[in-house]
Amino acid sequence: MIELFVMFWTLVIFLSITWYGVLLFYVGVKGGKEIRLMAKHLTVTEQPPKED
Amino acid sequence: MHLALIDWLIIILYMVGCMAAGLWMRRYVRNVEDFAIAGRSMDLNLGIASLAATELGLVTVMYTAQLGFTHGFAGAIIGVLMAGAMYWVGATGFIIGPLRKAGVMTIPELFQKRFGVRVRWLAGLFVVLGGVLNMGIFLRLGGEFLVAATGMPVAWLEWVMTALLGMILLYTVLGGMLSVLVTDYIQFIVKGAGIVVTSLLVIYSLGWHNLVTGLWLCFEGTIAGTGQTLKAHPFNPFDSTSFGWGYLLWQLMFQVAAVTTWQTQISRVLSSRDEATARKMYRRTAFYFVGRFALPGLWGAAALVYFSQHGFTPELKGLSPLETSLRATPVYLGLLLPTGFIGLLLAAALAAEMSTDSGYLLIWATVIYNDLLMPCIKKPLSQPARLLITRGLVLGIGLFLLFYGLWYQMSGNAWDYLAVTGNIYLASVFTLLVAALYWRRATAAGAYAALILGAIGPITFLVVKMLALNASQLNVNLPAALSFRQSFLLHFHQLFPNAGSIPPAIAGASSFALIGMAAGSLLSRPPVGANLPATEARA
Repeated sequence: MIELFVMFWTLVIFLSITWYGVLLFYVGVKGGKEIRLMAKHLTVTEQPPKED
Repeated sequence: MHLALIDWLIIILYMVGCMAAGLWMRRYVRNVEDFAIAGRSMDLNLGIASLAATELGLVTVMYTAQLGFTHGFAGAIIGVLMAGAMYWVGATGFIIGPLRKAGVMTIPELFQKRFGVRVRWLAGLFVVLGGVLNMGIFLRLGGEFLVAATGMPVAWLEWVMTALLGMILLYTVLGGMLSVLVTDYIQFIVKGAGIVVTSLLVIYSLGWHNLVTGLWLCFEGTIAGTGQTLKAHPFNPFDSTSFGWGYLLWQLMFQVAAVTTWQTQISRVLSSRDEATARKMYRRTAFYFVGRFALPGLWGAAALVYFSQHGFTPELKGLSPLETSLRATPVYLGLLLPTGFIGLLLAAALAAEMSTDSGYLLIWATVIYNDLLMPCIKKPLSQPARLLITRGLVLGIGLFLLFYGLWYQMSGNAWDYLAVTGNIYLASVFTLLVAALYWRRATAAGAYAALILGAIGPITFLVVKMLALNASQLNVNLPAALSFRQSFLLHFHQLFPNAGSIPPAIAGASSFALIGMAAGSLLSRPPVGANLPATEARA
């Protein structure tokens, strides 16, 4: 029973490290592009302050 | 100090880059919507980075490492439960789907559409109370990590906290959510790199087999000369020495409520481009939350094995078990990491602290502005005035936290404090959300009952814990003439001698929000004409 738990946590920890590494590069590249697009979008839609 | 020139360079580079990016974004802030929810222009990957960065703060690292130190790998079970809850909510769209469609800026704003402005105000009050109290220990725990990892004098802690908060406030007050998003992105990268590198170094340094067997020997008490250094089963979270079923069941319910209700997470849902983006963001971020507990938990478990095998260093000698469990991991990392890596870890730690604090400051200020102040202001304010108020609120919360964070005395472990303070509003607001979106018979009377009954249990728990702590610190040789405070505490201790040992699961279970909502709604008159779920009512 203990072996099963040890296997489970081993899998969880090594998968977590891998997942963090993958996200780091994937989100790093894609997120950077999205920031540029967001800044462009905010510049284009710039308008006088609106009253709600 | 363990820092070399290269470490300082890494830290300075990160700080300068982060501050510059944060301050740059202030030029795009035109109104409160830009300031609070980034003009709803956030896309998927930026959302993932921001959500992950905000929800993995230095306080998170401290309490998850503490769980690893006190519970071994089993401490990460809470992350597994949280990830399961996130994925399920993202897959089904439960609550977050209709909430995003409603087009509101905060959760209490949704309640006004269904239950009226007074419920919105009361819910806003509970959200802020729970949220700001919850955030109260962030600065101290973050400061303790930095002090322990760098070997700085403990007396510097308050100054470190103050300086860090000052920088966070500067870009958050000026750039709002736009600055928070961009700095979150940088912080996500720095933090991710720091976590991956540190975890690999920890495993490499101790050896996986040595770590696993070492944990078991700590639990068995057979490591030569040190006795039992781990009281909980290191691998089985269901074991009676570990969390047990009752606690985990409470945690499961708590996590479902947290991922659908916690305003800092929901603000990313409300800032996202549309419902599909919000749901995808939840699904893709879910597994990140396993690592949020498992990786710092790994460091904590490794610290336990290391100090059990090598003995405590002078920094850890003479500390209480609670203080030891909090400080052991940063001290261990300070010893383990070589030059250059400690700089990366500290930059990651600063990133973690800054991303969480900035996000939380902004969110709670937005709730105070949107749900507590705006309903009371009859005359429309100009955009500059609104922005000024929101910025002032961010500043005010920051100052409050600085003082609250300095004097609050935490008893029990950090995770329990966070869970109980979060519970002040989670149980009640979660019940209100479900009822507002899915139950046509829900009424304002039910909403009031849910809010009040939901908060009573956790608030009582916090007060009782604080009284029990103060009572336990009374001097044994008390003078004959007692002050009012001493007399009160003495009577309290005599009446409730075991008050300090109430488990946090009881505080969670003592929330009667659901009963309040059901009873209050069924006993009051059914709503006429407005008995539609909030999203339909708006349409």
